[in-house]
Formats: sequence, C-alpha cells, structure tokens
Amino acid sequence: MPDNPRKLQFADVNDDVVRSLTQTGSAYYITLTVAITVTLVCFFFPWFYQLNYGIGAAGMNQPTVWGTYLASFIFWIGLSHSGTLLSCVLHITQSSWRKAMYRSAEAMTLFSLMVAGTMVMVHVGRPWFIHWTLPYPNQMGLWPNFRSPLMFDVMAITTYLTGSSIFIYMGTIPDFAAVRDRTTGWRHHMYVMLSLGWRGTDTEWHRLGWAYTFLAVLIIPLAVSVHSIVSWDFALSLVPALHQTIFAPYFVVGAIYSGTAGIVTVMFVLRKYMNFEHYITDLHFDNLGKLLIVLSLIWTYINALELFTAWYSGTSTEYEALKYKLFGYYAWLYWEMILFCAVAPLLMISKRFRTSFVPMLILSIVINIGMYTERFLIVGTSLSRQYLPDSWGVYVPSSVEISIMVGTLGMFSTLFLIFVKIFPSISIYEIKETMDQPGEAATSTPGTEGGAD
Amino acid sequence: MVSHQAVGLFPAPDAALAAAGKLKGAGFATPSLMSPIPMEGVEEVLGEKKSVIKRFTLMGGIIGGICGFLLAAGTAVVYLHPVGGRPIITIPPFLIITYEMTILFGILFTVLGFFISARLPAIRERVYVPEAAVDKFAVAVEVDDDAHFQKAESILREAGAEEVRAMKEEAA
Amino acid sequence: MSFIDQFAEQWQAYRKPGYYDKFDYAWTMTIDLDRCTGCEACVTACQAENNLPIVGEEEIAKGRTMHWIRIERYWEGEYPDIKLRFIPMLCQQCDAAPCETVCPVSATYHNQDGLNAQVYNRCIGTRACAVYCPYEVRYFNYQTHHWDTPLDQQLNPDVTVREKGVMEKCTFCIQRIRLAKDTAKDDGRRRVRDGEVQPACVQTCPTEALVFGDRQDPDSAVAKQLNDPRAYRVLEELNTAPSVVYLKKVEVDAGAR
Repeated sequence: MPDNPRKLQFADVNDDVVRSLTQTGSAYYITLTVAITVTLVCFFFPWFYQLNYGIGAAGMNQPTVWGTYLASFIFWIGLSHSGTLLSCVLHITQSSWRKAMYRSAEAMTLFSLMVAGTMVMVHVGRPWFIHWTLPYPNQMGLWPNFRSPLMFDVMAITTYLTGSSIFIYMGTIPDFAAVRDRTTGWRHHMYVMLSLGWRGTDTEWHRLGWAYTFLAVLIIPLAVSVHSIVSWDFALSLVPALHQTIFAPYFVVGAIYSGTAGIVTVMFVLRKYMNFEHYITDLHFDNLGKLLIVLSLIWTYINALELFTAWYSGTSTEYEALKYKLFGYYAWLYWEMILFCAVAPLLMISKRFRTSFVPMLILSIVINIGMYTERFLIVGTSLSRQYLPDSWGVYVPSSVEISIMVGTLGMFSTLFLIFVKIFPSISIYEIKETMDQPGEAATSTPGTEGGAD
Repeated sequence: MVSHQAVGLFPAPDAALAAAGKLKGAGFATPSLMSPIPMEGVEEVLGEKKSVIKRFTLMGGIIGGICGFLLAAGTAVVYLHPVGGRPIITIPPFLIITYEMTILFGILFTVLGFFISARLPAIRERVYVPEAAVDKFAVAVEVDDDAHFQKAESILREAGAEEVRAMKEEAA
Repeated sequence: MSFIDQFAEQWQAYRKPGYYDKFDYAWTMTIDLDRCTGCEACVTACQAENNLPIVGEEEIAKGRTMHWIRIERYWEGEYPDIKLRFIPMLCQQCDAAPCETVCPVSATYHNQDGLNAQVYNRCIGTRACAVYCPYEVRYFNYQTHHWDTPLDQQLNPDVTVREKGVMEKCTFCIQRIRLAKDTAKDDGRRRVRDGEVQPACVQTCPTEALVFGDRQDPDSAVAKQLNDPRAYRVLEELNTAPSVVYLKKVEVDAGAR
C-alpha cells in the first residue's frame, strides 16, 4: 500500500485523470515514436512485401497451411478475453476492486480484437477480397456460407467488437463529461461530442446503471461464445489432434488465462508510467494473482486431459499426433509451454509473490509467451501429423512471419498509447464510489473496498 | 419558451437528497439531482423510476434471433448451394448465427433504449453545473417567478446548500 | 394446397440430408493398385492438362508441391526384407466433403455432376479447406507462377491459370466433362455415354489402372469395378463418402509361396 500523505478527495481524482490526459512528458512521445516505428517497419513493411509476393513469403507449406498468423490471431483474440469479460463478471458480482482497472482492461480487449482482425487479413491469401465474408450477396446473388466455422468467426468477432466498443464507451460517458469541463481547445470539442451532453442527473445515472448491467449480461455469454467459435475453426476439422470436444472450454480457459496475465502487464505499466499508484495497488495484483493461479490449474488439467484422451483412444492417428507433440520436432516448445504456463504460475501460491510488482510483471509476460507457444503448437504440431504419412511435414516460420509477430506488439502498443491520451484510463466516477463520500467518516482507502470477492 | 431553475449546490449527497425531498413536499415540480457518482436512495425520495431499457433489450434479442435465423436459412434457400452433403437448412450451425445475432441486436437495442430513455445525446441547452462532475451534489428545480425562486432558495439554503444559482434553460 | 402445407413440404425438402442426391451424374474413378506401376505418367498428364505450374526446386524443398495427383510412397519392413508400396492420391471428390462446409465464401461446393468444385475467382485463400481435407490434396498458390517462353505456348486454353492466394485441386478434368456434356446435348442425347469422357490421368495410364465413369449407369466399366471384393475407399471411417475407389493390391502370402 503506498502511503498516502493526505487522504484522496473527489477533486484529486479529477485532477489526476485530467493530468494523465493533458500533461504529456517526453517519455510518452519517445515510446509512441518507437511503437509507431516498430509497427511500420516490423508489421506494414513485411506485410506489403507479402501482399506483393503472396503467402509464400511466410513459411507455410503443404501439410501445415496454417501458421503463426493464425496462432497470432488466436493469441490476440485470447488476450481480448479478459478485459471486457472479466469486467462484466466483476460488475455483475459487484466486486469493487474492478473499478480502478476495468477501463484499461476493456481497452485491451478492444485493441487486441483490432489486432486480431488485422491478423486475419495478413493470414488470408487474397485479403483484398476479405469483404466477401461479410453477409451481403455478390452480383450473382450468392451469400457467404453460414455453415462455415470461419463464418461463425466473422459474426462472433464483429459482434464482440461492437459489443465491447459500446461497453467501454457507455462506461466512459460520465468521465468524458467530467473531463469536458476541465479541458480546452480541440480536446474540449472532442469531449463535448463524446460526452453527448451528459449532466449526471439522477435519471441519467439510473438509466446508465440499467443499460450497463444489461450490456454486461449480454457480453458474458458472447465472450464465451467467441472463443468457443475460434476453437471450432480447429475442432470441427478432422485433423486428429484438433478434432476434440474439449477444445471449446480449453480455448475459453486459455483465453481468460492469457488475458488476465495481459491485464497484469498493462496494470503494471499504467501504475508505473501514468502515476496511478494510489488507484492500482498491490490488492489488485493480489486478486489477479489468485485468479491466475486458478486459471492456470484449470488450464493444466485440460491439457492433461487432452493427452489422456489421445492416449486412451489408442487409434494410430491420435497416438502418432500425441507422440509427435511430446517428443517430436516441436517437443522443446511443448515442454517450454508446460514450464511457463503450468509450473511457473505455482509461484503465485505465495502472497508475497502476488503482492510484489516486478515479479508479477515478469510472470505475466512469461505466461503470455507460454500461451503464444500453445497457440503455435495447436496449429503447428497438429497439422504436421495428419492421416496420410506421405504428407507429413515440418513447418518453420519465416523471417517475415516473425517480423509481423513483433510488429503486432508495436501496433497494440500504439493503439494503447493513443487510448491513454483520449480515454480517461481509470474510471473517475467509479473510483469515487469506492472512496469516502463527502460528509462521511473515513473508513476505506480508494479502490480497495470490498477486497477479494 | 424559457424555463427558470433554481440550482442548489451541496457538499454531500445526503443533504442534497433531503433538500430534493423537501422541495417536492413543498409543492415544487419534481427536482432533478446532479452528482459526480450515482446516488443511492433517490427512488425513496423522488418516487420509483421505471426503465424501459429492459423492454428494448428483450425486443432486440427477439428481433435479432429471428433475423439471425432468417439470414442464415433465407440466404441458403435463395441461392441453393450444395455443401458437404448437408441439408440446405442445417440447424446446428444456423443456431450459432442466431445466437450471435441475438446478442448483437440485444446490445444495439439496449444502447438505443438507453439513449431514448436518458434523453441523450442532448439536443438543447440544459441546466448544468460543472462542479457536479467533481465533488458537488446539485439539486435543480423549476421555478415560475422571483417569489417562487426565493422560496426554493430558502428551502435549499435551509437544507445546507453552499450556493444557490438562478439558471434558465430552453423548455422542451 | 395451403400456404402452411407448401411451407412444410419445402421445409422437409430443405431439411433432407443429401438434398443433392439427384445429381445428373455421379462421376467416379477406380484405381486398381494391382495394375498401378507407379510410373507417374498420370502426374505428368495432369500437369500438362490443367496448367499446373512448375514450382521449382526451392519451393519443393519448402514442401510446397503442386500436383493435383501424386503417387504416395510407403516403405514396409526392414532392409533387406523391404517392400515399396505406392498409392495414387488425388481429390476424392467426397460426397460429404469436409472442405465444402468450411469455406466461408462458398468458393468450394458440390456441383450438379456430383463433383467437388472449386471456384478460383471466389476464393479468398483462408486455406481452411486444406486443413479440413484429410487427404491433403488441396494445393495452395503461395505465389503467382509464371511460365517462361515458350512454355506459355503449351498452356491449355480450356483451363484458367490461378493467381497467388488461391486454393486449387483436382477437378476430374471438369473442362472435358463439360465438353462431353455439350457434345451429348448437341447430338440430341440426354446423357454422356460411358467411356466418352476421361480425365487426363485416366487417358494416360499405360496399364489402365485408372478407370473413370458414371456410377449411376450400372453398365459402366466403373460401376462393375465397384462390386469387386477388393474395392475400398481411403479413410472410409471418416464418413467423407469419397468418389474415388481403390482396388486393393492382392499379395501372395509369404508362407504360401
């Protein structure tokens, strides 16, 4: 707990948030420049090369026609799963520790979804025709094929993107209004538009409360369906290691797992560089750590289950895929994943570990490296060992793919850096709700009321 | 047509709520409260609030579900396109489309319901005190003339208002 | 008939699996592994007929082959008691094709000849069909291929060339089937006669291991071979209902020899 020289007042919250929006240090500009440069050099430049040359610029080959692009797509969709989903669940269960962190967590959802959408464009062979997957007929009257798991994806992801954009925007309207009164120039005009004339009347608060709760209730099943559907891209195929009923829950748990780790990373950065020490405290890291350890255990269980069913089935194809996964060409990646995602998180059993910031940051990054590996293995090892041994093969990502993989990080960072200067990155009014009300006796510290629930 | 309002600023939510109750008891039109955070206990003082948003959400869900199934099944029927030995109308995959569309329309209609019932975005100037977005709790009540304003002011001051302002807004 | 009855009737028709049972033809190929010598003449014929690019040494090393029909090679046993087996593998033109259901833009579908058709112009290159195909017979254009002069002079004008980002596969030489159907129509016949149309691979096979025809016609050569006790389908347990039927190689048991 950072020691407060003075108790936080309502006005301090406004000051802190407006300051985070308007006062920009050189460190921010340097980071932004680096992020934009990485995006341009590592993402767009190789992508344009690939658009010109064809998918052959990547390392995909005959048995393994899907590669890191799809792994990145699943990874970013997965990362999107904690923000809005976690925020909705914690809103419904009225856990007040959510309030300091949910805005940036939801932004994470939004931007990882955007990056995931970009990965689809990078992945397909002819991205200039990607609009054919939208539900409209072509000049022959032919519509997209709604039986296709990929089409489920299109519907689910557009719905999810719409839903989470609306969710984050609705929750921010009162904050836009608060910031509107304190800014000048172009910012003022922007916030006037964004706040829609919000005044904070009792009726407005009442309606917002209802609408927000309904949105949360709608988004929870949506988020679960989105990653289930992503898993069906694989599970509905006939590929031995992919055609499994456990895949939907496996993907959903994996998504929430990596997303929660992502939130830890983002929280650390916000706390450190936006000076939100009073709002994002060790309590948040403690709670997120508890959540992570539960998710890690479920994830490990499903992984063990996957191995067991493959072994128990005894069919030659399943058995071969299993053997290849554990001892084949990519085996070192598999064991790395187990170490990073199943063994390392056990450190969080210690409360001292959970409440120390730097170890949590390192662990959260390690978990996400492990989860990226998991997605790569799902695509890579399974497709390398299919039914006909003649078409077995090995896939190694090309330099273009690795560069694009790094570039997506730059793209995500760029979007996030722009976000923190436009959106109040912690919720002004919800932080105030957790503080001492004016005229009341001091009982609690900001953002900590309610504890872990 | 201009409507005159008396706006009292309070440092704490309880005093603001009490003032609103007194104003209502004294025969004023139902006052509106402005606050930096959602206030508790408003309904006990100013009467129950009913929200139409849930109807919008339900309607949206139903319309979305129907549209979703029609989208999938209808487009399969208008252009017969044999695929994988499956029937033309394949129920399980189409239910997934239905599910997604149900949620999409549910969300969109919820937002529509919110905008309509909260009267946002604002199209005309309305009474607003910027302090109410920081740490003050404001009570605004419509007054007819100066005498009426003074009556409102005295009630507000009595309840603990730090400041009372005379403001006007364009009436609807 | 009332509206509701009409609706119910339509509904039932649309809910029937294999709504497309009434194909005009059911093109089938049988491959007699007893006759197959693994000479790869079919591979070459297909290459010439269907404008398949020669991807080159570098691409082959990366594993990006482009053969709509390939000879799969399997070694059995340990040296010196070793046996080489091979099996020609091409698109099985499955009646319940997994690749068709997964295409989001309907670029691959079942046409009225019972063929698994691929519409190159509609393909956006998700490559999902190649993942869903258990036979690994769908080939992706990793780049736009070029034919150096004078090789471009030998391109088949009846077949399109494909650009980068498009999936392609064996069509059972659909251009020949179309031509045969048109000829039959011009002659005033309703149907194509057995033996009138042959894909390039079947035409080229020196040992006549490959037979092509319409299995709806009980007198066709292919329909007769289907009754052979040696007949089997590859990966039949996956319920893809392939239209390519293999006739097992008969081996004399080592003990009986």
